[in-house]
Amino acid sequence: MTIHVPNVNHRFDPLTINRLGLWLFLVSDASFFIALLSSRVFVSGTSTPDEINQVLGLSLTVLLLLSSLTAYRAEVAAENNDMSHMKNMLLATMGMGILFVFGVGYEWYEALQHFPPSTGFGTVLFTLTGVHVTHVATGILTLGFVYFRVRKIETIGDNLFAVEGAVKWWHFVDVAWVFIYPTLYLLK
Amino acid sequence: MHRTLQQSLKLGWVVIGLLAIMTVAEFIVAISFEDTVMLFTLLLIVGLAKAWLIIQYFMHFGQLWGHIADVWRGTLKDDPVADREED
Repeated sequence: MTIHVPNVNHRFDPLTINRLGLWLFLVSDASFFIALLSSRVFVSGTSTPDEINQVLGLSLTVLLLLSSLTAYRAEVAAENNDMSHMKNMLLATMGMGILFVFGVGYEWYEALQHFPPSTGFGTVLFTLTGVHVTHVATGILTLGFVYFRVRKIETIGDNLFAVEGAVKWWHFVDVAWVFIYPTLYLLK
Repeated sequence: MHRTLQQSLKLGWVVIGLLAIMTVAEFIVAISFEDTVMLFTLLLIVGLAKAWLIIQYFMHFGQLWGHIADVWRGTLKDDPVADREED
């Protein structure tokens, strides 16, 4: 008896498979963040220490939201073959991402003095921001890789999904922060 | 839906504007409400609205349904040409 396995590559547009694969990965990663976010209530309740730096939290949020706009503009520029604008927007996104990483570093410096990892809130803060900043770092690396790949070409051609995929990953990181920010800074 | 370059760029500014307004609203809610359940509920609603804006307009979630439909149809339908090539 012969088992017949259809070859999906013949049937589907590669873009369809790429996009579905990326979304599947993003959904699975989102479930990880949901588990971490819910642990905040179990580990440290709903109270937030007064010492937490609200200005820094809000600044980090604004920075990441703005970087989502530049990432979106990079994708739009790529779709319209505006290579110069796309490269500038990729660089701006990476720049804001790097600033975000430094901001989280400063948050950790302050947190170590007021709520170290041995405390309940410290555990939650370092775990959530640690996992998230790792995602931000991989986002910066991915955007950097895409920038390196497209920096000398004049038309986007087959590289459109590379830009789209990296930008989607960046937006996902932003969506994660949309929930991390109120969970860490605003609950009481 | 296909948008022109100008429409897409304008959409980006509209979305970021709404996100900024919601972030301010989130902050005001946090300093205005003392009741934990109420605060949690309102923050969750604002958070979900912000996430929806990003997912829908920046991540183009809508286009996903077309791809799912393509795969659904393609998986159910026999493709004799592709199958012959495979053999």
